[in-house]
Amino acid sequence: MTSPSASSRKALSKIACNRLQKELVEWQVNPPAGFKHKVTDNLQRWIIEVNGAPGTLYAGETYQLQVDFPEHYPMEAPQVIFVPPAPLHPHIYSNGHICLDILYDSWSPAMTVSSICISILSMLSSSTVKQRPADNDRYVKNCKNGRSPKETRWWFHDDKV
Amino acid sequence: MQNHDGDVVESKTESITSIQTSEIDDWANFRDDDIMKQQSAIQAEEAVKIPFVGDKEPLLTLAAEYQSGSPILQEKIKVLSEQYAAIRRTRGDGNCFFRSFMFAYLEHILESQDRAEVDRIKVNVEQCRKTLLSLGYAEFTFEDFFALFLEQLESVLSGNEASISHEELVQRSRDQSISDCVVMFFRFITSGELKKRSEFYEPFVQGLTNGTVEQFCKSSVEPMGEESDHVHITALSDALGVPIRILYLDRSCDDKGSISVNHHDFTPAPGNPTNDNANAVKPFITLLYRPGHYDILYPK
Repeated sequence: MTSPSASSRKALSKIACNRLQKELVEWQVNPPAGFKHKVTDNLQRWIIEVNGAPGTLYAGETYQLQVDFPEHYPMEAPQVIFVPPAPLHPHIYSNGHICLDILYDSWSPAMTVSSICISILSMLSSSTVKQRPADNDRYVKNCKNGRSPKETRWWFHDDKV
Repeated sequence: MQNHDGDVVESKTESITSIQTSEIDDWANFRDDDIMKQQSAIQAEEAVKIPFVGDKEPLLTLAAEYQSGSPILQEKIKVLSEQYAAIRRTRGDGNCFFRSFMFAYLEHILESQDRAEVDRIKVNVEQCRKTLLSLGYAEFTFEDFFALFLEQLESVLSGNEASISHEELVQRSRDQSISDCVVMFFRFITSGELKKRSEFYEPFVQGLTNGTVEQFCKSSVEPMGEESDHVHITALSDALGVPIRILYLDRSCDDKGSISVNHHDFTPAPGNPTNDNANAVKPFITLLYRPGHYDILYPK
């Protein structure tokens, strides 16, 4: 899925560029287990392949994450969504938006693409049921105008799943 | 989890959220982006009122603020004004403690030209860098923030190419791209210190959030905009070896009803390289705490 906001997004700042180049090198040396980044010449958008962990509901399944970086990364969080079809999960909407606090209010520059990936895999792995969030249809309908998940006011009240 | 579009029901909280459903239904017409537009408009409005770091104002302006307010507070401001001449406000964006500390420290160096203090703090900053590395932080996550702080530190010393004036220091402290990065530097320092001495800090942290030091750092120290508590102040003061005085302006008074303004000095604990002499140093950073907010105070 291409978010329209991505095309109108400002170019990366110098700080963001430097930081992402360092993250890219680190990723190549030490990629998180279960993930593959298809390197392109677009530093501002990473497409990452996720493999469901063995022994979990998502074992043997493969999904794609799309990570878009804002001008002031890492002071601002990247936008992270699953490219549909997104995994069936109580915190993942069918349009690929993910309800995970570290992607929004709890983001910190101390985190990295790699640490985000690990959190997302852990979120998948701890799921006990393959289903969409209860408000999936309403939410997805409201996103029809191409709104970014970063423009959603998320409420996080369950960190068990 | 849920997104806050309106009537969201999740299995675990069904009984609660389904009650909300009927109430919130009318709100369904308000879309998130509308709400967020309004929110950012409010933020922009606030920003114009109070920059990240304000101008120095006479303490009288504080008194004016409480003119028709609590008599205890009015009395306390009178007591305060015997020793303090001015206040410099910071924006209430959750970063006010770190922002106040940043400005007060750099301004102190700019005005005192205390090169010994700059050399001293650099030793502690280097120790903090090692601490973060030993805790497993990737260097690229924090090195830019460290470099930016050290750059500001150099710039407030006179006699080099990059030297800046007081006016420029104020400008930089209001420039988000610099100001927020220095705040983030202090957040890294604080987090590193808390984790390094997690056994010591664990009971304090548990009193606040009922979680581990690790969780506390992730949720309440490292994200921007998370407010500071005693624990943050203690850790920052310890890590950098900088004593901090905080004056408390609240409605408390003793049994006899006499009015005094409480203060607390955060004195760096021994353990970091240059902290041993810190006990002898009188705090040169004084902050005013009002419930939920920190500003900078200037002694007479």
